[in-house]
Amino acid sequence: MKHKALIVGRIAALLGILQMLCGCWDRTEINDMALVTAAAIDKDERDGIELSLQVFMPRALGSNSGGSQGGGGQKLTLVRSSRGQNIADAVSKIQTKLPRKVFWGHCKVFVLGEEFARKGVREEMDFLARHPQPRERAYMFVSKGKAIETLNLLPPLERYSADMMRKLSELKIGLKVTMKDFIIMLGGDSKAAALPMLDILPPEEGEQPSQGVPYIAGTAVFKEDKLIGDITLQTTRGVLWLTKKMEKATITVRPKDAKSGFITINPNHHVIHQTPRIVNGKWQVLLSIQTSGDLVQNGTNWDPMNLDLLHAMEAAVQDSIKDKIELALDEVQKTMKADILGFAEDFHRSYPRQWGRVKNRWDEVYPTIQVKTDIHVNIRRPGLSTVPVAIPEDEVKKK
Amino acid sequence: MIEKGKISGMQMGFMMYPTVVSTAILMVPSVTEKYAHNDLWISTLLASLVGFISMYIAYQLHRLYPNQTVIQYSVHIIPRLAGKVLGLLFLFFYLHSTGAVVREYADFISDAFLPQTPMIFIASSLLLLSAFSVRYGVESVARSAFIFTIIFAFPVIFLLLLIPDLTPGNILPVMEHGILPSLRGAIVPQSWFSEFFMISFFLPFLSDIRKGRKWGLISVFAAMISLTTINLTILLLFGDRVSGMSYPVLNAFRYIRMGVFFENFEAIIMAIWILGNFVKVSVFYYSASLGLAQWLNLKDIKPVVLPLGILIIIFAYWSLPSFQDVTYYLTGTFAYYGPLMQTIIPACLLSIAFVRRKRPSSS
Repeated sequence: MKHKALIVGRIAALLGILQMLCGCWDRTEINDMALVTAAAIDKDERDGIELSLQVFMPRALGSNSGGSQGGGGQKLTLVRSSRGQNIADAVSKIQTKLPRKVFWGHCKVFVLGEEFARKGVREEMDFLARHPQPRERAYMFVSKGKAIETLNLLPPLERYSADMMRKLSELKIGLKVTMKDFIIMLGGDSKAAALPMLDILPPEEGEQPSQGVPYIAGTAVFKEDKLIGDITLQTTRGVLWLTKKMEKATITVRPKDAKSGFITINPNHHVIHQTPRIVNGKWQVLLSIQTSGDLVQNGTNWDPMNLDLLHAMEAAVQDSIKDKIELALDEVQKTMKADILGFAEDFHRSYPRQWGRVKNRWDEVYPTIQVKTDIHVNIRRPGLSTVPVAIPEDEVKKK
Repeated sequence: MIEKGKISGMQMGFMMYPTVVSTAILMVPSVTEKYAHNDLWISTLLASLVGFISMYIAYQLHRLYPNQTVIQYSVHIIPRLAGKVLGLLFLFFYLHSTGAVVREYADFISDAFLPQTPMIFIASSLLLLSAFSVRYGVESVARSAFIFTIIFAFPVIFLLLLIPDLTPGNILPVMEHGILPSLRGAIVPQSWFSEFFMISFFLPFLSDIRKGRKWGLISVFAAMISLTTINLTILLLFGDRVSGMSYPVLNAFRYIRMGVFFENFEAIIMAIWILGNFVKVSVFYYSASLGLAQWLNLKDIKPVVLPLGILIIIFAYWSLPSFQDVTYYLTGTFAYYGPLMQTIIPACLLSIAFVRRKRPSSS
């Protein structure tokens, strides 16, 4: 008898313990969640903000999978927006329009509207850093015009516009900035930040207005937490060289002595050193770039197998890189006076004592910093053709 | 002897590692960054010194009084009544600390993963499980620790996946304001390292005492390396923002991504982390239970385990009402309270014991 009671008791205890495994209060079924794929923050006409969420529709994916898939352009997402005092407030209002619980864990893209960014982003970044769901690895953008428009697009090649924007960022044509990077930049020594700037390529004639595609048009420059302006993609290239973020480049130049035509090289291997120095009380940054790549197009009549001509080509490319860097310095350092190049951090690291003295008047010191460049370009291979193609041999300049 | 089980030196080392590391990785990076800024990795190196000292003291005391824990030999070292009072203090300390550990654990889980679940369920389910382990004595605690620690140490390898995202420059300038900030940053982590004194409760059950010293050292060393690595990784990943984060380690693990699809796996890592916490709670819980049984001269540990568990839950609620209080307790109070109980008082005991050994009482 006693034995039986013991067994019953043990079974009851086991069942009791099982109850603890299910985590009943925080149970979340996947079909109770509204997966946010992208969020856009715009300025409201009144005081607050307008938040728009692009929400993934799993049902749309299911019904399409049977038939023809590759098309794209079918709507896989829906966009809901609401006004509020801040993001948290606006989310609670969007929630009233969604039958499922908003879930940020898959949100890979945050787009800040231009107007909103000019007003200052700090307050809303706090939500993104504090809430446990948004990911630090999400990509941040600023959009020309209203940010919600980028969410409404149906880019033909990708499943939804958030996916497209994420891939654009990962291609690293412009800057690639994650939420973590942005927050660090805003709180860093330089008190400036940069985000890639999105614009919308208008649709072709006869297409739906939603068939435009977002593309990276340049870089948005923040000082403190406010947008103060933007630079073009050309200038952004200079910024990429200066911040050691350059990865893939295509440089097209006309060599000085060539009669006509351009050459293009694809430098794909860079060694960039950025050394801050203080020489005789003058603050300098020494930027040394060594880059090498292949010749991809030669429109001149020069023979790239001739070493002298090759060096002339390399010199032309060097000048082109230098021009880009100077363009960037001119706009970012001299005109905007925003330290998105991270000079403040560099000097802080190498010259902590001197930095401590100018910390409070960095705004005055920064524009006076001289940048000296030392660029070496190597054209390593001529591609599959050694001579210029499609011109008679006697017109090829061999030396 | 209350405890009949025997453990090996290696098992003890494996028990102590998560006892220090499991909660330290949550709080230490942000707290040390607050004082030491980008020298936070020096702080953990400095702090580990206290770990070596505490362990040395526990080991020397054990050599003088083999087969006894701190509760037992304190009665022999100082007068009986004072020894009993000191024993009670130790019991209170471990009871209170276990409560705080359970609270930290429950706070973290409900903050990051289960916001709706009442905290009492999070805390009591872990404690109930530990209670089962503790009831079966030191061997069951040690064996579960052995298995779980191996799994627990595994996620550190995942941190390697962050290497492409690290900015080595964040480490500069090293010691911008001298060593003082690093020392101030070390004040908090050293209280974790002082917990190595707890080997005092396990040394009497070792099958081979020399291995105990070896594995004790390995354990302190491993904890030092792990905490320094984690501090450094977080510094290189997040730069100056670390001190503003509640749990930088969580943010770091969330940042891991491999390819375009292998991401968002912090939930698995945190599930593994719970194992480490289980070991920590059972080690503390076991020490408190064994200490109480010895203090009361009981023949068995079993009658005190469950009542102590209920007290621990109550301590978890009483002592620390909010996350801010937990942080304040760890940085303000425990930073002195922990080393006082686990390093300074044992050091006094050891010196008294040495003096008494040198001059055998004339009677």
